[in-house]
Amino acid sequence: MNGLETQHERRRPQERPEIIRTIINGLERYNPEAASTLESYLQQQCEEKFCDCNANRALLKLYQLNPDRIKDEAVTNILVKAMTQFPSPQFDLCMHLLAPSHSNPAPASTSELAEAVAKLRVLNTQLEGAQYGRFWATLSADDDDIYADLTTDIAGFEDMIRVRIAQLISQAYREIDVAVLENWLGLDGADEVAKFAVETCGWKVVEDGLVQIPKNAENEARKAEIREDVNVDMFARVIKRSWEEVA
Amino acid sequence: MSTFQSGMAPIRAMEDDSDVEEEALVADYKEQVQYEDIDDLDNGNSLSMAQQPDDIQARLAQAALPLDFSAPLEVKFQSYDAYCSLFHYILNSEGPVDLEPPSYYWAWDVIDEFIYQFNSFSTYRARIARQGNNAEEIQLLRENPNTWGCYSVLNVLYSLIQKSQITEQLAAMKRNEEPMTVAGDYGSKNLYKMLGYFSIVGLLRVHCLLGDFSLALKTLDDIELNKKAMFARVMAAHFTTYYYVGFSYMMMRRYGDAIRMFSHILVYVSRTKNFQKSAQYDSITKKNEQMYALIAICIAFQPTRLDDTIHTALREKYGDQLLKLQRGGPESLPIFEELFRTACPKFISPVPPNFDSPEENIDPIEHHLAVFMDEVKTNMWSPTVKSYLRLYTTMDLKKLAGFLEVQPEELRSFLLVNKQRTKQLRWTDGGLLEGDLVNVSDLDYAMQGDLIHISEAKVGRKLVDWYLRNLSRTYA
Repeated sequence: MNGLETQHERRRPQERPEIIRTIINGLERYNPEAASTLESYLQQQCEEKFCDCNANRALLKLYQLNPDRIKDEAVTNILVKAMTQFPSPQFDLCMHLLAPSHSNPAPASTSELAEAVAKLRVLNTQLEGAQYGRFWATLSADDDDIYADLTTDIAGFEDMIRVRIAQLISQAYREIDVAVLENWLGLDGADEVAKFAVETCGWKVVEDGLVQIPKNAENEARKAEIREDVNVDMFARVIKRSWEEVA
Repeated sequence: MSTFQSGMAPIRAMEDDSDVEEEALVADYKEQVQYEDIDDLDNGNSLSMAQQPDDIQARLAQAALPLDFSAPLEVKFQSYDAYCSLFHYILNSEGPVDLEPPSYYWAWDVIDEFIYQFNSFSTYRARIARQGNNAEEIQLLRENPNTWGCYSVLNVLYSLIQKSQITEQLAAMKRNEEPMTVAGDYGSKNLYKMLGYFSIVGLLRVHCLLGDFSLALKTLDDIELNKKAMFARVMAAHFTTYYYVGFSYMMMRRYGDAIRMFSHILVYVSRTKNFQKSAQYDSITKKNEQMYALIAICIAFQPTRLDDTIHTALREKYGDQLLKLQRGGPESLPIFEELFRTACPKFISPVPPNFDSPEENIDPIEHHLAVFMDEVKTNMWSPTVKSYLRLYTTMDLKKLAGFLEVQPEELRSFLLVNKQRTKQLRWTDGGLLEGDLVNVSDLDYAMQGDLIHISEAKVGRKLVDWYLRNLSRTYA
């Protein structure tokens, strides 16, 4: 699994820059001027394939308080970055910070941002709902190139999603059909699947179009018995009391 | 700390701006509003006291008094001005003001009422904008966008926290040191210390009202949630803190932690209800009901054994709903919505509404509910899937799909969703946002192609508690 772990983007940046730390931990997070610093940090996350959800939420918060500063691409980039963390509440936490007119627009709304948010929300629901096949289908049936535009800033978006799906599969499956894998990973043909399974994931292709996934803590489903831990301390009061009454 | 200080600058500047506006406003009102009319109101007496700026004790008392729910807009504006000038006096006089708080719960009442008025003002303003038919009030609200503004409310709370050095004091207490040594000129005075302390709880609430649930929890980093905490002395504060912490956990999908918070405070209330003064108890009855509704939601996401008292009360209050929630599927969705609506905080928008197009002003509650329901919908098949899996040790996926009348592809997704949701962050130590990823379900399974291997953790009987209870009964 180490191969997959390192290839998925880092959940937390090992080194959050000092200036970002200062902003999100202090009152500077309310200073509208801090937005540009957070925006370039977001840019860096998009290019260098890591994600700092806390810092990004601080930026959304600034937009929330100062709607005149909203930059549409920054908002959608934050959402796309949060989406790559699935399954997790990160995307929803960002949604809660958007204005209702962007996240749940009135029917007559003409806001482009609202339309983009709605599009991303569909993708996120599919990822959260483990409908990976549908996710790739939605992404490729992109007639107006909207999804292409929305994800263009995020380096390695599709690869990150694919590796993350593989990770999640390995936590639930011991063996999986190549056909299912092909659909879920959004790959084309058994050869491509085999290549990805072996080279990227370190899995084994066995006969009958079946892929074997090495054992790990999650895909074993071992029987367990939950027992009560009993120790003397639990009885301390009773013992103390009986002692006192004798004395 | 230097960053903290420099960070204040822009907000201070903003406050100065609004001071000028305030004075203009006050002057304006003195002409507009006829005070004789207000004397007819129930709270007429206290209002006229507030007009005597030299009677500071009266102003302190006034700040803690609830504003009449149906007070006209002018009175709401006035009340804002009164808070501004009081906080201005407390924060910006030369050196700390030499005042004792009228009572030990006064500081809580002030912060509570201040935020309550901010909350209800924002809700009111949004409603006026949505309805769009009260031209007079729309005009007034449009001209005064900064009255009860989000930045000024945050500014007051942060300033009180900063002036009182309460963060430093709490950190010292955590290290078992004397807080007075770090309290400074302001923080060593009771008035500042208490206001600063309850401002932290106030911030938790404001962040939650604005939908920033992780920042809400982070705000409490310095407060240890236990019975020795200062807030525990004021029942309403104790109660409010747990409600907002629990709610924030729920919104972060940390249902186990949310249940722990709600259960703790509900057990506490049920044990102490005979000792609570009735007035104080009345005010928390509603929140009490709300927390039961939230527990029902959390239990549906994550079945948990509850304390007996809570369990019984929950069945009494929400028995039918709970049953439907636990059954899952599309029929459970309206129940989730109903319970969420009754139990959520009255969310607000941080910025003034758009008065020009009323239909664009969507109620923030609907907004947060919609986002929350995304996750509910994603999970709605989990109870069904689990109830079947419990019956087998191995099962063919296509057969199970047949039972459930869904496509195999669909069921594969349900199985993954349910399995992924059994891993949850759970708090053990440190700040409220900390936690370890743990497995929260007794049911586990893994797939081998289309064959599902199922294992259920057996829970051994828990005897210690039983023995202890009976032993103590024999002794007594």
